[in-house]
Parts: sequence; structure tokens; C-alpha cells
Amino acid sequence: MEEKPSKELFQRPPVASSGSTGPLADSRAPHPASPQTHPRSDWGPGLAALPTSLHARRSPSPGLAPDPCRQPADSYSLPPSAPLVVCDPQASLKSLVHHGSDESHQQSDIRKLWTTATLSEMNLNLPLSKVSEWSDTDGSSFCHQKNGVDSDAADWEWDDGERVTLPSDNSFKQELDEHTLLKLELHRGRSQGSSLEEGDSRTEAEKSPSMLSLSISKHTPHRAYWTEQQNRLPLPLTELMENEALEILTKALQSYRSGIGRDHFLTMQLQRSIEGLKKRRNKRLHVSLR
Amino acid sequence: MKLKQGSFLWYLYLDKIYCLLSVRNVKALIEYFHLLDVHCKNTLNDVLFFHFLHHVTNLNRPQIMFIFDMLDWNAVGEIGFDQFYMLVCILLSHQNHLEEQFIYRHSRPVFELLDLDGDLRISLDNFRLYSFLFNIKKQELEELFHDFDFTGDHRLNYKEFKLFTIFSIDKYQERQKAEKEKKYPLKKSLQTR
Repeated sequence: MEEKPSKELFQRPPVASSGSTGPLADSRAPHPASPQTHPRSDWGPGLAALPTSLHARRSPSPGLAPDPCRQPADSYSLPPSAPLVVCDPQASLKSLVHHGSDESHQQSDIRKLWTTATLSEMNLNLPLSKVSEWSDTDGSSFCHQKNGVDSDAADWEWDDGERVTLPSDNSFKQELDEHTLLKLELHRGRSQGSSLEEGDSRTEAEKSPSMLSLSISKHTPHRAYWTEQQNRLPLPLTELMENEALEILTKALQSYRSGIGRDHFLTMQLQRSIEGLKKRRNKRLHVSLR
Repeated sequence: MKLKQGSFLWYLYLDKIYCLLSVRNVKALIEYFHLLDVHCKNTLNDVLFFHFLHHVTNLNRPQIMFIFDMLDWNAVGEIGFDQFYMLVCILLSHQNHLEEQFIYRHSRPVFELLDLDGDLRISLDNFRLYSFLFNIKKQELEELFHDFDFTGDHRLNYKEFKLFTIFSIDKYQERQKAEKEKKYPLKKSLQTR
């Protein structure tokens, strides 16, 4: 059963000595010791000290610039969690055709966009010197990249005979919609985080491509939006807070009305803020219904 | 004392070691405080405070007014965000059974809260008045005053209070250890080998 707030709350006259006496103040005398002599101090900032910041934990540190690669030092960097399209030499031609022709199908399946997007990015990370090295060993496979000519896909052959089919950069960048880019950004962040743990064995040659990829990620169009989302309170929490505050304030309004009257300016102020909260809630509900 | 399940405070997380809220949680709490601060004075008066605490806890009216008097040390009839934050931390520590840890970590602010007369000492009566906040039983309290009142004035100064907090945190840790061993007896036997 709920207790009814008594009128006693309002019957206490304000304390004359205090500067900012509240209209509904307590009538008891101030403490015998003056505030100057009492040791009670402000604990707010001290108590608000933060052991760990969630925000800091979530966002990857740009200064660390981890490399997601686990390849040997002389090989090209590939993100470890990227689902590689690896197939045998015979199958590579098929996959090449698949990537080149069935673009609409790729757009419909987000997983394929993931795959191709991650791999296409590798082209961007590739230093020019490496490209020339590679083209020396692998013949014509990379000449289109070196020359910057667009084509539908690149076909990379690894030492053990496996082939990696890669789409070209420009064509797929156009295909990627905003959502995919955002996902890609998140994925990259995760893979960088995981690679931090393994990082000791990496060489400088491996680091440079990933640094490049980081600098590219900085210019992702939704970065500002994403940061804003991180700093904002989650919507369900805001909703919960507002609903709870509304309930509390409604009860307080009843006490105000019975204690100091309907026409008191404090009662009217409280009523106005309740109405404001209600309006805000209705607006939100209206938006969510749409 | 219990927090109402599903209330906003119920979702806040109090760090178990430092007995503090994270910055994100404090930020959310500030927003909440501002929603309740309808008169835009960065304070809550006794009526709003009563309804807030009555809504989120199962405390009765006298208890709520005791707490208000404790927090409103200058008797201005309002409490600011600092006091509000302190109260929320106490409530959450109580909710998470971290009272000993909280008193130990924040012994100075807690001492200042309980020192209602401002004479740098806590009397047994005052401590008893607020024992419900820290989940201290009557018998424990009497034992505490018996054991730690070295000066013999039936009041605790800060040093005596600090000793009490150290003693109680030791007891709390031992209790936790015993509970752990009870839960995982195999682990203990492996450790002894």
C-alpha cells in the first residue's frame, strides 16, 4: 500500500538564516556547528571519479594502429577475420565470373558484400612497391592493379597454389551502401582489437598497409554520426527516465496542490513541466508509430 | 531497504571495487536529476525528494525524512546533485550488498554524513538512526561502539570509525572467501596440495 504524503512536508517554514531557502524548506534549526567549522566537504567530484570509462574501452585507440594481419612478413596483409574467398586454381575462374556478372545478387546478400568489401579494401592497402614485386612473380595477374585500370576482379595466387579472387576496388566501393560501410568500419575495429593481443610478432612491412586502412577509415562518412550516438543516452533509457520522472512528478503535484494550493506559482511551474514531459513523450510515441 | 525493480536506479551499475558509478552512469543520473528538478534550481526540495525516494525504494516516510535531514546538513530545505549522487551510491551499495565496501572506500564522506552535530564525532544514537542505510544491525552497532570506542566517550571519532571500517571490510572479505570455498570445495583442496 502506498503512503500518502502528509502535509507536514509543506508546513515547515523556511529557515531564515540560509540564503537559498527553499519555499518548502525544513523548519528545524541549522546545525549548531557552522558550516565553516564542520568538516563536511563536497564529495561530488571525488565520488564521481571513474575507475573505467566504457566509452574509452569501446572505441579503438587510433594511436595504437594495430594491424589485423597474421600473414608472414613477406606476404600481403589480409584481415584475419575476413572471410576469404579461397578456392583452387580450377575454381578461381568460376568465382571470377560470379563476381563479375552477378552484381545484383551480391547486393541482395549482405554477407557477400562483407566479403567482397573487405577484400577489395586490401587493394587500397597495397603499397606500390609490393604490387610491382608481386607482378614480377605472378605475371599478369596484377598488371591491371598497377596500372590502375578497373576490372571486375583480381585473381591472386598464393605460394601453396590457392587462389584468392578479388573484386576491383572502385566498382565495389560504388556498390557498397552506407549500411555496409558502417558495418565494415565496425568489423575493422573488431579485427584491429583482436590483433592487438597478437601484435608482437609483426614487422613494419605489415604495419604500413593497416595504417593506410586506418587513415581511410577516419574519413568514413558516418563517423561523426556514430560518435554522436556514442555520447547520447540510449533511447529506451531516456524513455524509462522520463516515464519514471513523470510518475514521481505527478504524485508531487498532488502534494503541492494539497499543501500550497493550486494557484501557487510552484504548483503551476510543476504542472507546466509535467505537461512538457507528456508532450515530449507523445511526440516520441507519434514518431515511433510512423 | 530495496530498490524497486525496473526503476531507473535499478539499471545503474556500481563498481564493485571502487563503489562508484561510471561517467556514463553519472551522466544519465544528471539527466534524471534535471528531470526531477522542475524548479530549475539544481536542487530537489523535500517534497520532490520524498516522492522520488518513495517511488524507487520501499522506505517509509520517517526514514525518507531522516535521510533528507542527513543530506540537507545546512538545513536549506533542498539537496543538490552531490548529495543526490551520494544517496544513489548508498542505495546501490545496499542493493548490491556492498555496504562494508562502500563504508570502507568512502569512510570520510560517510563519517561526515553521520556526524549530524558537526563535532567530529558520531554518537551511538545517530548511528542507530541511519543504520538501516548501511544494513547494520542493532547488536552489531553496540558491539562496534564497545570495541572501537577507545577514548571511552561513547562516541566515535574519525580514527575509530576508520578502524571500524577496516575491521568490517576484513570480516566481509573473510565471509566472501568462506562462501567461495563453500561453493567450490574442490578448488580449495587442489590449492592445498
